[in-house]
Amino acid sequence: MRVSCLQENLSRGLGAVGRSVAVRSTLPVAQNILIVAEESRLKLVATNLEMATTCWVGAKVEEEGSITVPARLVTEFVNSLPNELVNIEMPAGGRTVQFTCGRFQARMNGIDADDFPPVPEIADGIGAEVEADGLREAISRVTMAAATDESRPVLTGINVEFEGERLTLAAADGFRLAVYKMPLAKAIEGKTTVIVPARTLNEVHRLLGEQEEPVYITVNEQRSQALFRLSNAEIVTQLVQGTFPNYSQVIPKSYDTRAVADVSEFTRVARMGSVFARDASNIVRLLVTPGGEMKPGKITVTAQAEEIGDNTGDLDALVDGKEAKIAFNVKYLLDVLGVVKQSQVALEVTTPSSPGVIRPIGTDNYVHVIMPMFVQW
Amino acid sequence: MTRFIFHVDLDAFFVAVEQLHNPSLRGKPVIVGGQPGSRGVVSAASYEAREYGVRSAMPLIQAQRLCPQAVFLPVHYSRYAQASKQFMMLLETLSARLEPLGLDEAFLDVSSVVTGTGEAAALAQALKRRVSDELGLCCSVGVATCKTVAKVASDFDKPDGLTVVPPGEEASFLAPLEIRKLPGAGRKTAECLGDLGVHTIGQLASLREGVVRNKLGRYGDLLLQHARGIDTSEVEPRGEPRSVSRETTFQIDSRDITTLYSVLRAMSEEVAQDLRTHRKRAGTVTLKLRYQDFQTVTRQTTLKKHSADANEFFLAARDLLQRLLSVDERLVRLIGIRTSRLCGPEHQLGMFSSDAARLQNLERVITEIHDRYGPDSIRPLSDRKRSRDSSPRKT
Repeated sequence: MRVSCLQENLSRGLGAVGRSVAVRSTLPVAQNILIVAEESRLKLVATNLEMATTCWVGAKVEEEGSITVPARLVTEFVNSLPNELVNIEMPAGGRTVQFTCGRFQARMNGIDADDFPPVPEIADGIGAEVEADGLREAISRVTMAAATDESRPVLTGINVEFEGERLTLAAADGFRLAVYKMPLAKAIEGKTTVIVPARTLNEVHRLLGEQEEPVYITVNEQRSQALFRLSNAEIVTQLVQGTFPNYSQVIPKSYDTRAVADVSEFTRVARMGSVFARDASNIVRLLVTPGGEMKPGKITVTAQAEEIGDNTGDLDALVDGKEAKIAFNVKYLLDVLGVVKQSQVALEVTTPSSPGVIRPIGTDNYVHVIMPMFVQW
Repeated sequence: MTRFIFHVDLDAFFVAVEQLHNPSLRGKPVIVGGQPGSRGVVSAASYEAREYGVRSAMPLIQAQRLCPQAVFLPVHYSRYAQASKQFMMLLETLSARLEPLGLDEAFLDVSSVVTGTGEAAALAQALKRRVSDELGLCCSVGVATCKTVAKVASDFDKPDGLTVVPPGEEASFLAPLEIRKLPGAGRKTAECLGDLGVHTIGQLASLREGVVRNKLGRYGDLLLQHARGIDTSEVEPRGEPRSVSRETTFQIDSRDITTLYSVLRAMSEEVAQDLRTHRKRAGTVTLKLRYQDFQTVTRQTTLKKHSADANEFFLAARDLLQRLLSVDERLVRLIGIRTSRLCGPEHQLGMFSSDAARLQNLERVITEIHDRYGPDSIRPLSDRKRSRDSSPRKT
């Protein structure tokens, strides 16, 4: 293998695949990055066996070849090099790769490329095309609602539904639910539903960067794996097997009280509550009061921590319906307020023990449901 | 402002409750604690039995020797707890400043309701009548300007007594009494003071501070103040519980897993009941074992989420028990379970109906049934065969 490329490009490539490297694996080669020199480019691959990322870097290839090298070692070394031409060389059949860049040199012992776990080919199956912008927004609004503990594996994934011209992403950790709908660039036939690990989608989001070209998604026939093809990288992921809970029945069909408020004000008041809520199981109590003749309605947020103190703040709101109260884990409230791009949201409440709904004003493509905390009022 | 503090003490409480359940026991020597063949101790004895020298904490076998004709009864903890609750609720109607001391006695600060000694005495008399009329129980009341003197006074004329110590007469009331009558002066303290020639409270009161402190340390200062009838401590309404626990000593040391599990399960249930009564949930479960050689070990575990679920406590304690038994051959003499790191009933509601949600519902319904029909009204089936005379005692 003999190849050369710019340090900047190599570094970016290693950064792109870096998060897919196995962290704790019984398979040592999975902690390596596969480097393949092929027709005028360098292919970099990393996999943790759940997700594999492939990225290409422009390079001048004089002699093809491949090897795997320890991910951390090569990444840290390349990142510390000056932005000059990096020469990568390895004698045919060898295992030691030599990196040369200006006055710097390194030799790394690698593992044979044939030992690297093969990245599944996903060619056939269901294909879909989505706009990068929409996908970025969709991912950022749903993944925080996915479960982080593994006790119910399906909840660690995002339910992705392709139907006709529409793509629906939904995540729920058992306490909150986020559903985002967006158009597909091209309609597909029938309906396909898969569960994509939240980690994978977060990685797709990261690699999307500023990309403007559409993203191609392919799901294999067995619905066991999917491919996300970005302009500069490909991610192949295992899909979570199982059935996602029927979330549509969790979204309340009606409300008794609806309060429309400014997102930044709401965030400020909720964040203030979170200071005291920290010592009170994160509980904030929301009281929605309808306006009167001359005064506006409001949402009052209070937090009280036993033996420490309490605080109260309120914000104006356009209230429809009767007075209502509901208690939330303030983290969940701040999470959703933090991802809404619109300037106003509606909070819909029925009883203190039924789910609260948050919808951005001016669009109906996003709905967020938060289960309340049981408290004594 | 002069304070008026009651110390109210139910007379032979456990026995009195048993007599309410079985009126034929009235006037007889009754001993609560278990069968004399077993190795428990006397939890309570009727005044008739006390005439034979039977005392609390005496081994049952000795009690039987002293008073062979006595009726021996097992401990029905939940009956007493129920009666105690009613008693405390009655006291609370007089004043909110109530400090329970165990099940059968309490301090009550009535300063805000009475204006003089005469009124206080009348109120105490009325209280005794209500306890008798409404609960069928007999109590002794001490009325004084501080807690120490009130407590001594309630004991002064037991049973069915009412002793009022008017303001200013505290020291002279205490003076002739033997030192052991002073709360906080136990056998050891009395021996120490005996060396100084002190046998009555009055003799203690007349000593100089330095002398007592030399003998008893800083604790002596407090005791001396009390002996002089001075006690500024407030009646403190009971705070929130910080932990809830049960433990029980086996009649026969055991390693039998079925026995250990069934006792553990029953205690888990009682602990969970207590927590629910207090509207609390626990985050930590501690298992306590005392082996045959009296070595005591505790092991604790943190629950994933705060809980008031008996089964969850049982499973956690069972795991700890298994781990201890697997590394130790000794027989177990005592087993206990403690739940701590308590928090309020607040909790996150779930979105998808699950076992957890169903358990929470179950918990709620059980609490409602207990509130309405008493703690014995609904119990787990596994509890059915448990011998009630090894009833765990509250710790």
